[in-house]
Amino acid sequence: MSLLRSSFGPRVADAGVIVGLAVFVTWSIAPIAWLLLSSILPQLSLIDQPPDISFVHWTLDNYITVMGSAATLGRGMLNSFIVAAFTTAVALALGAPAAYALARLSVPRSGAVVLLILATQMLPAIAIAIPLFIVISRLGLIDTRFALIVVYLSFNLPIVIWILRGFFLGVPAGLERAAAVDGAGLIRTFWMIVLPISIPPLCAAAVFAFIESWNEFFFALILTRQNAQTVPLVIAAFAGQYQTVFGQMMAAAVISVAPVILLAILFRNHIVRGFADGMLKG
Amino acid sequence: MPHVELEAIGKSYGPVTVCHDVNLSIEQGEFVTLLGASGCGKTTTLNLIAGLDDPTTGDIRMEGRRVNELSPVQRDIAMVFQNYALYPHMSVAENIGFTLRVRGLRRPEIRARVEEVAASLELSHVLDRLPAQLSGGQQQRVAIGRALVREPKVFLFDEPFSNLDASLRVRMRAEVKELHQRLGVTSIFVTHDQEEAMSISDRIAVMNRGRIEQLGTPEEIYASPANRYVATFIGSPQIELFQGVLARASTGVSLRIGAELLGLAPGLYAGAPDGTKIDIGIRAEHVRLADHGIPATVRLVQPVGPSTHVTLDWQGGTITARLNGFARIERGQLVHLDLDARHLLLFDSNTGGRITANGPG
Repeated sequence: MSLLRSSFGPRVADAGVIVGLAVFVTWSIAPIAWLLLSSILPQLSLIDQPPDISFVHWTLDNYITVMGSAATLGRGMLNSFIVAAFTTAVALALGAPAAYALARLSVPRSGAVVLLILATQMLPAIAIAIPLFIVISRLGLIDTRFALIVVYLSFNLPIVIWILRGFFLGVPAGLERAAAVDGAGLIRTFWMIVLPISIPPLCAAAVFAFIESWNEFFFALILTRQNAQTVPLVIAAFAGQYQTVFGQMMAAAVISVAPVILLAILFRNHIVRGFADGMLKG
Repeated sequence: MPHVELEAIGKSYGPVTVCHDVNLSIEQGEFVTLLGASGCGKTTTLNLIAGLDDPTTGDIRMEGRRVNELSPVQRDIAMVFQNYALYPHMSVAENIGFTLRVRGLRRPEIRARVEEVAASLELSHVLDRLPAQLSGGQQQRVAIGRALVREPKVFLFDEPFSNLDASLRVRMRAEVKELHQRLGVTSIFVTHDQEEAMSISDRIAVMNRGRIEQLGTPEEIYASPANRYVATFIGSPQIELFQGVLARASTGVSLRIGAELLGLAPGLYAGAPDGTKIDIGIRAEHVRLADHGIPATVRLVQPVGPSTHVTLDWQGGTITARLNGFARIERGQLVHLDLDARHLLLFDSNTGGRITANGPG
């Protein structure tokens, strides 16, 4: 009897965990699955009530049409890539030393500084949209990739600092002491010892900043017209005034998320370790 | 001129004082160990000597020159850390050669020096491996190699063997001692392990609560502890203390322990007045069992190989005797103690200071 009882409890717990995980995975994957499915269905099947998703209707027409207007999508992807890559590079180049300084040096009121950095993330985007538009417009930077990079840095840099600071706090102080005894100064210690062992959190921070910049819609909408339009705006353009071409929109979306998913798959081990270390020790 | 000298060193972190008025003078080529329980300030003192931390008060001198403001490199010290602190992303060769690279030496020279040090530490076959691929002993040797390659004036060791298992610890201890005998470089070693300190050091500084309680050779520390703390901290089995009162009579001086009266040689302990409350200790090897003397009952018998530790209850409290070999003695057995008065260690009950035969020590 006691044997039954003791094995029954864990089995129920295991089943609970499995059901919970299944629900979570379904919840996470369902929109992507629907995105993929919609991208291979014709418009008529999609606007049916309920949508007719039967296999016989599956087609690559949406992809062919979207590829046909490749110039627009291509330019959007190039813009997105340049903006996301520069934002990521600058966020890491500035964020890593800043995070290290906040983690290790005696910065006056560093606790307050860290809180302030985080507090900048609490402003709703809409609250700064109008003043930001005025500033960017006065500077003559509307519809430039530079404007997007500057704006994206403003919300990626704090997150990068936050993630990296958490990791740097966990770097054994003994390593830095050993480097000091070996004759390395602060910058050399940071460059030759701390950064090389921080590849996982750097990857996590980089992927985070890249995806945030790649997917950003709101500021791109108000700060660009045509030249600097990024992928999310190109996709949105499939929603016309009189008709929304759902299938093509979804096909364009699939093409646009592909590079980001590839990035996440390539660096998945580093990302998981990086986030775990950075967030837990923060 | 002392090679390394600490003069009235104090270190505080905010309201917490970790080192109080530490004075220490170390001669050229000497091997000195800072010994104490965790939190006694020994590692802090070592970090101050290294230049990894600044003293709040006092001066640190090396070869007569004040070095308070100098960096570790300018002080020309090398340090082996408790957890080795090997750079995990660098190979063994890069770890050992890092300091030379920082100094701007050319590659061939770095390689030659690294190979020479690696050969002396039997690390030649693992030069391309990462620290994580090494055993604990090899990691320890790499840490020592990293210190050796610089040919420093002073070696500092911060509990370097605490992560090793017992047998490896004993072997590494011997290696470090041999290394010191070969190179003759002034070395300062920190440990909480008294046996390690005794076996490796020329002199030991026993630290407690940020102060040096006693500085002396291992023999002095063991046989003539300056106070109650040192007496109980050093020695295994630990010395047990029992209370007594100094009694003076025309016939001589004696110690009253409960109902027992233990005679001391006349004329001794002149500085201590009649009735002085005293803590008395005696090392286990000086406790003898005899046919006559103070009655005691065997409570615990612990054979440890070359000797047997026998814990005994008597009216003074508990006392441990170390008998040779595997002693034939059983729990509950009634025996008699022969306490040789010459080996008694007497401490003032109030101050804890040693009372020597010639008066308060």
